[in-house]
Amino acid sequence: MPVNEPVAEREGSDEALGSLAPSEFADLYAAHSRAIYYLTLRFLGDPQKAEDATHDVFLKAFRKMDQFRGEASWRTWLYRIAINHCRNLQQAWHSRHLFSNADEAVWENTPATTDSPLRVLETKELGERIQAALDGLSEEYRLLLLLVADEELSYEQVGALTGQSPDAVRGKLHRARKAFAVLFKKSDPLPEHEASIKT
Amino acid sequence: MKHQSKLNPEQQQSRQVGTEQQARQQPALEFATAEELLRYDAAHTTVPAGVERRLQKSAGDLPRPKPAWWKRLWGGTKP
Repeated sequence: MPVNEPVAEREGSDEALGSLAPSEFADLYAAHSRAIYYLTLRFLGDPQKAEDATHDVFLKAFRKMDQFRGEASWRTWLYRIAINHCRNLQQAWHSRHLFSNADEAVWENTPATTDSPLRVLETKELGERIQAALDGLSEEYRLLLLLVADEELSYEQVGALTGQSPDAVRGKLHRARKAFAVLFKKSDPLPEHEASIKT
Repeated sequence: MKHQSKLNPEQQQSRQVGTEQQARQQPALEFATAEELLRYDAAHTTVPAGVERRLQKSAGDLPRPKPAWWKRLWGGTKP
């Protein structure tokens, strides 16, 4: 049987043309939901909005599954939906919160692991400082850092998502790192035992 | 009735100093770049379970989507 013959023609039924099995969508969600939630959380700076956005992004993906062309990875495709969704939300709000209690709910919902309570408290503070630093960046730098932080994405993919060349990504990344480090250090209440970034 | 501590003031002070020292002795988290820090942060972030529940309900109300055209032609890769 020829490999490139359409499945529907091979087997001649609607079932062969097929609808996406719920388990496949569940796999998609399991593989990418953390990345999408994290992007929306840090991009929007609000856990409730990030929760809603993550739901809406995956629902859009579910509806548009047949439009996925396979030219990009699933992760890149989902990021594109998420970025457009977040930008639309921000345009609708017309204003941005410079400071928010973004991490409260996230860390409260995080199941306790082997971390000591003090450690959890520190991690919570870390999240607040990260959000404050990201909020101080331009949208371009914020998005760039969030995407580059995802090890599954290459500079080429980050460039495709942000509409620029990989070289431009590298150049801007250097400036975004510096700007983030400055803002992050500004928000450091106890420099002697807090997290730090080398500059 | 106000709760009274079993510790005398000296013991209380000693305990407080001990806690502060413990906090200072926590290993510092050091990251080479902003991305490394964000990666650490992302790894410690969990998606609220409510998202999946809502999604199951919302998607359940919709017809099952067809797979992408290329997948119908050649078969797909895992998501």
